[in-house]
Amino acid sequence: MAKEMVAMILAGGQGSRLYALTDKLAKPAVPFGGKYRIIDFPLSNCVNSGIDTVGILTQYQPLVLNEYIGHGQPWDLDRLHGGVHVLPPYQQAQGSDWYKGTANAIYQNLSFLRRYDPEYVIILSGDQICKQDYNDFLEFHKAKGADFSVAVMEVPWDEASRFGLMVTDADDRIGEFQEKPKEPKSNLASMGIYIFNFDVLEKYLEEDEANPDSSNDFGNDILPALLRDGKNMYAYRFNGYWKDVGTISSLWEANMEVLNPESSGINLFDDDWKIYSRSSGKAAQYIADGAVVEDSMLTNGCRIFGTVRHSILFAGVEVEEGAVVEDAVVMGNVKISSGAKVCHCIVAENAEIGESAVIGEKPAPGNEKNVATVGPGVKVGARAVVSGNAMVKEDIEEGGKC
Amino acid sequence: MLTNKHDAIAIVFANSYDNEVPPLVNERLMASIPFAGRYRLIDFTLSSLVNCGIDNVSIIVKKNYRSLMRHLGSGRPWDLVRKNGGLNIVPPFAEKGVKVYNGRVEAVASIVEFLKTCKEQYVVMTDSNIACNFDYSDMIRAHQENGADVTIAYKNEPIPYGFLNLQTTQSSDLYYTLDLDGDKVTAINTNSKEYGPQNLSMNLYLTEREKLIAQIEKAYAQGHVFYERDVLAPMIGTAKICGYEFKGYSARITDMVSYFDENMKLLDPDNLKALFDGFDVYTTVRDDNPARYIAGSKVSNSLIADGCVIEGEVDNCILFRGVKVGKGTILKNCILMQDSVIASNCDIEYTIMDKEVSIASGKSVKGEKTFPVFVPAFKKIL
Repeated sequence: MAKEMVAMILAGGQGSRLYALTDKLAKPAVPFGGKYRIIDFPLSNCVNSGIDTVGILTQYQPLVLNEYIGHGQPWDLDRLHGGVHVLPPYQQAQGSDWYKGTANAIYQNLSFLRRYDPEYVIILSGDQICKQDYNDFLEFHKAKGADFSVAVMEVPWDEASRFGLMVTDADDRIGEFQEKPKEPKSNLASMGIYIFNFDVLEKYLEEDEANPDSSNDFGNDILPALLRDGKNMYAYRFNGYWKDVGTISSLWEANMEVLNPESSGINLFDDDWKIYSRSSGKAAQYIADGAVVEDSMLTNGCRIFGTVRHSILFAGVEVEEGAVVEDAVVMGNVKISSGAKVCHCIVAENAEIGESAVIGEKPAPGNEKNVATVGPGVKVGARAVVSGNAMVKEDIEEGGKC
Repeated sequence: MLTNKHDAIAIVFANSYDNEVPPLVNERLMASIPFAGRYRLIDFTLSSLVNCGIDNVSIIVKKNYRSLMRHLGSGRPWDLVRKNGGLNIVPPFAEKGVKVYNGRVEAVASIVEFLKTCKEQYVVMTDSNIACNFDYSDMIRAHQENGADVTIAYKNEPIPYGFLNLQTTQSSDLYYTLDLDGDKVTAINTNSKEYGPQNLSMNLYLTEREKLIAQIEKAYAQGHVFYERDVLAPMIGTAKICGYEFKGYSARITDMVSYFDENMKLLDPDNLKALFDGFDVYTTVRDDNPARYIAGSKVSNSLIADGCVIEGEVDNCILFRGVKVGKGTILKNCILMQDSVIASNCDIEYTIMDKEVSIASGKSVKGEKTFPVFVPAFKKIL
């Protein structure tokens, strides 16, 4: 059955700058916002935009992601025709290959796309926090009669040289593409979200694959080729919240912004644009007598006897009496023992923080990017100290320092 | 063991003791009464069954079952969408001139033909007014070890006030205590008024499917109604009926006061642990966001579900999913069911609010510990 638009989510990246958090899982599977994983955002956007056929391209550490996606039911993507498909690299008659680049990943799955005979394909990134209506984007693409459109954000001019930039005319038609230029000619940064007419995509991916010198990447190879051939390329301006949570500090920051939807613009409380996720099935959260919970977001299964301020706690976190959690992102099933101080940090799933241990510290002004990180399953012994910018992957013994 | 699947099917009676909690069952039945912040009572029964590998579950409903059907859907949250077995909701079959069934005998008689098509060896039958983590595997083991014909689960506890003051004498509202000699049941007493802890039946039975079919067909033909009084009691002496003591934590709903108390008891962390630790209780997923505690809010000794937004003060309360508490509002000793909205500067104590109640700013609603105010679903207090 033909589908008007099929989505392909690039979810194979390691996200090496998230260190311990992505040792065992791909970046799109990193927990976010109390009960979500990053990939919930593009998936929910697809469903809310009316896209019911989604391919997820996986490569690096896919097990957690595979299990999480399952048959797609939490996103209403368990469909008779279409639905969600996890697409790892596979062996073919003509040999097999890992995904060599973003373009190659799609190229290797052209046969998947052909099954749905789409008119358009939207390419999404599995590691961005963004609520976006892809339908509006498609309407723009159609109205412009484009072969290719890219979603762009206006960024401050003084930061523009950090991005891939689209130089456009008054009609938003792209005339030039600059990758992290010293002298930016535009402040329209690519969000890495593309809509292609499928026939154009097919043609250019095949040409790209035939070119042995290509790095098989959309930004480096496909976009320049389209430009060279004078294709109709347009930049679609997106004004909402968008964050690439590529680093520990940006991940921490985005979580903190969730606590403040009124000013940050990332509102998870929007009934008209729900973000779906696989649910934990734990009991309601318990806030004990004498506990303090302020300016925070907590999820089912939490049991709080201590103090929690300006923090996000995922499902099943326990905070014992006398423990203080502040400006922290505490992922699922973490146990924080009595007297511990957990501040300005990310504590990953299943970690255990011993009695009176100290994790992170309030940064000096200007050092806000120092975010202490405790990796998944790490046991931090009693009275151990994890300094303000430490990344902990291994257990720390009682009284130890890191 | 390749799987933990049991050779048993389950029959759940969804309307048990409806008459004892009239306000709560105005538009629902016992099985779908909200409990413990984010569940319906039947979630505990279904989760226990599924966790024990019993995945062929028939739910016998009699009236007011729309909310239960909406809750259960296809049975997916409990993993009860199965090719063989799974969830089977049995509404009354209204034949011309035939009254809707009354007792358990008539109810089971209505599915005898279905029972005959099953292949499983055992049948468990249970009411739906008790929230507990029940280990059916252990009960089946005890049943087999005892070589019992029927095993009745009981809890050694005093007869609850609600039972001592039953509102009706309908069959669904009788209760039973057991006299035991070791594990063997020597008498089944109906509506006992004995003081102190009794072997109070949980109305949870285990027997072999073939035996149940024979018992029910005979009793139905003889015009009997009550399974306990008319089938089990006369079997004592000729068949082996055993008791199985449930020693875990349980919350039994027998009247409005017990509904309030059993919810409130979960505010003791030991009770919360006793009911939930090591027990995955499944329920419908609503995709609520995490609960939000706005700066300036104050929450103590409370159970809060996802989707709540709290700006005011909440003390000794249970808030179900999606409840909003406005700034300056003080909530004490309350149970607020899903999606109730309390505006700012309200003062509310000892109140049970059914779902989607809304209270305008500055209102005061106060009950007493012994008589909580009940606000019906969708009520707007302006």
